[in-house]
Amino acid sequence: MSGTIPSGFTLPVQVVEAAGVTAWLAEDHAVPVISLSFSIPGGASLDPEGREGAAALAAALLTEGAGDLTAPAFQDALRDAAISISFSADRDEFSGSFRCLTDALPEAARLARLALSAPRMEGPDIERVRARAIAGARQALESPRGQAGRVFWSTALPGPFGHPPGGTAETIAALPAEVLRGVPARQFRRGGLLIAASGAITASNLRDLMETLFGDWLAEAPAALPALPPFSARGVQVVGMDSPQSSAVFGQPGLAVDDPDWEAAGVVMRVLGGGGFSSRLMNAVRVERGLAYGIGAGPEPVAGRSLIVGSVATENARMAETISVLRGEWARMAASGPTEAEREEAIAYLTGSQPLSFTSTRQIAGILLALQRNNRPLDWLANRPARLAALSRDRLAGVAARLLRPGDLAVTVAGRPVGL
Amino acid sequence: MLPLTRRAALATAAAAQAALASRAPAQTPAAAALPAPAPIPADRPLFGARLWTLPNGLRVAHVRTRGAPVVAHYLFYGVGAGDDPAGKSGLAHFLEHMMFKGSAHVADGEFSRRVAREGGQDNAFTSRDVTAYHQTVEATRLALVASMEADRLRAPLYPEATVEPERAVVLEERRQRTDSSPRARFREAFDAAMWGRQHWRGRPIIGWEEEIRALTRDDMLEFHRRWYTPANAVLVVAGAVDEEALRRVVESEYAGAEGAPATPRRRANPPPAPLEGRLVRNDPGVREAQMLRAWIAPTQTWGRDEADRAHGLPLEVLAHLLGGGPGSRLHRTLVEGGLAVGAGSGYDSDELGASSFGIFATPRGDTAPAKVEAAVEDEIARLLDAGVTAEEVARSQRQLTAGAFLSLDGLGAAPRLLGSALAIGLPADAVEHWPAQIRAVTPDAVMAAARAVFTHPSMTGWLLPEGTRAP
Repeated sequence: MSGTIPSGFTLPVQVVEAAGVTAWLAEDHAVPVISLSFSIPGGASLDPEGREGAAALAAALLTEGAGDLTAPAFQDALRDAAISISFSADRDEFSGSFRCLTDALPEAARLARLALSAPRMEGPDIERVRARAIAGARQALESPRGQAGRVFWSTALPGPFGHPPGGTAETIAALPAEVLRGVPARQFRRGGLLIAASGAITASNLRDLMETLFGDWLAEAPAALPALPPFSARGVQVVGMDSPQSSAVFGQPGLAVDDPDWEAAGVVMRVLGGGGFSSRLMNAVRVERGLAYGIGAGPEPVAGRSLIVGSVATENARMAETISVLRGEWARMAASGPTEAEREEAIAYLTGSQPLSFTSTRQIAGILLALQRNNRPLDWLANRPARLAALSRDRLAGVAARLLRPGDLAVTVAGRPVGL
Repeated sequence: MLPLTRRAALATAAAAQAALASRAPAQTPAAAALPAPAPIPADRPLFGARLWTLPNGLRVAHVRTRGAPVVAHYLFYGVGAGDDPAGKSGLAHFLEHMMFKGSAHVADGEFSRRVAREGGQDNAFTSRDVTAYHQTVEATRLALVASMEADRLRAPLYPEATVEPERAVVLEERRQRTDSSPRARFREAFDAAMWGRQHWRGRPIIGWEEEIRALTRDDMLEFHRRWYTPANAVLVVAGAVDEEALRRVVESEYAGAEGAPATPRRRANPPPAPLEGRLVRNDPGVREAQMLRAWIAPTQTWGRDEADRAHGLPLEVLAHLLGGGPGSRLHRTLVEGGLAVGAGSGYDSDELGASSFGIFATPRGDTAPAKVEAAVEDEIARLLDAGVTAEEVARSQRQLTAGAFLSLDGLGAAPRLLGSALAIGLPADAVEHWPAQIRAVTPDAVMAAARAVFTHPSMTGWLLPEGTRAP
């Protein structure tokens, strides 16, 4: 092995303006594929009380018939040319994406424009998509993981951000058609619209595409988000259900995405509960004790702030031990931070893996969108290795102490855990 | 570590020019300004992989891509859960876990740690047909991962003390994937009832719990010795590496590995008919009913006779036409018709040995299961009675293949598709020219395939909430 990894590998990013909005573009003609992603603040958090799931159901309906195309005709047009167009409502934003081969771009642009500007949302289609959403919401609660996640989020963030973004079977069943038809007008604003594109498209073609998709939207700012409540989950909460295995979702408050310690916290969390096999939690829970197939924890941004959220599943008899190991590792990291060797390994991974994020157009568009969402400058990735390298062990220990609060780590367990 | 089943990658990512050429250009004024470049020639191989074989039998496939300085390194073994010895289900998968516990020059846990330390990602998966180990790394790290992979190909050396904690991990994996999901439990029971609890096709990939508990370190070492040989492996490398550089790495890291010639794989024939005709289970954990129906079906590698083996690709077209999402027959009748929230069919031709052609449906609201089952039966009867139209077949061929070249977007599809095919004895053409082969299927071939499958007995399963009556 010789040589160092070219640090901070990133693609050149162009800033493209059209239709009164700005897009980030990573142009690359290596493969004949184009991906575009966009988001607008809002999403499920704008659903009125009792109407939870409206934005998500409306998002699904945008591709179920638009303009002169019925639902089957619209779906056929997409699939005849292998165009994927999808929309979704997450906790704090409405988002959309499409991907197609270069020769299908004109057709993709036509269909995406129809979906955004002239969705049909006809009665029978609403009822068909509603029935599917209700079945999906009910099925999600068949597993302990689904139950634990549902209860954890609604306890941690009571109100609009804690509801399941897709709604519950009960709220979906009660959504009036006019509420669904009103969603595009409530969500679509050019103010706050973020756009990222990647692949075989020139800046000039992207400008045309932006005019096609967003040119008719109102220029004004998006609807204000509701206030994000303080993190409200405490202690251990058990949701009883028959299952041979208990599933736990755990978490605590995280940092704001613009916090100067954000990246340092990322290094700390990589060491404590990051992906792969090298984290302390994975080692203590899986490798040493065989308690679970996997365990991980990391930041989940919501409306500019974040939660640290993780999950683990183990047989009912060993959940108490698993939680005790988890709390022990949480406290140990809070007390003394990563070791020098852990610091070095985590930063080597975070720096060295940067090129891996640039291997598909969809992934690249997603990264460029996330950078804009978090208000990062264009050279954020290029300078990231230098910023990470400058994080000393002492600094990380200080951030670990500030970030991690073992006493506030809330755990929701679904199953029949013994001794909790 | 995931026991994944292959495929579906192409079905969702499959590009087709016939469709585009016949489509009217965009009507929107602004969109019309976007120029459409010339389509990719339809007869171009998908990945253009270069293939060669080392003297020790290791087959190598190389796909050079442009773009980020990254390579994906996949080593496929032509062995999977379908090759687990009788009474030892779960062995292929358990061994896959243990392969991370050390080899001659790589200590327990060191493999993944080294890869991460160098900025890479690694994992592995076991299907019925293959076991694959893979790493994605910055291009200059290729030799490192090749050298560690070749080390554990030569001999695993995991300490005795690592077996029991890992057995607990595998049992938790089983609880997580299967035991805590009523749908997964039902699917496992369905396969066992259809093929037999000890038939290779009727056993779960992860294994039966009592058999996982009884597997020994010696079982694993013996399984490794028999199957983990260069002649039984396929190396696929995709990404930013030239052929010459790759040949050097392969020569220096893999050429010295020795092993027996490839072991022939024996897949028992399926039973003449499903062992049970019907499985009904009321499960208190289930909130939405589900219907499954399956027929024993030929694949590109298995058939009752020569003619039967030719039904593989026509069955893929049939699966799309009958139940491949919106616009398919089952979707129109059941979903648009208001009887079901979802309905479709599933079939893959690129498997080793016999497979199944399946249909599934989830009744909508309070629709009686009997009504859903009757509608499925009507569709099958109508198909056998009135056949398929040329337009339907052309539409399915168009939609199956339209996105083929989307699989160039990313480094995962080429190794997964090529490795999976080569490791079960299919030629590279089965991947490289898959779209053209699908387009060559005739309506008559689709009907011959339909008759070859649907005139045999099927098995029906119903998973129901407590209190719901089975049809």
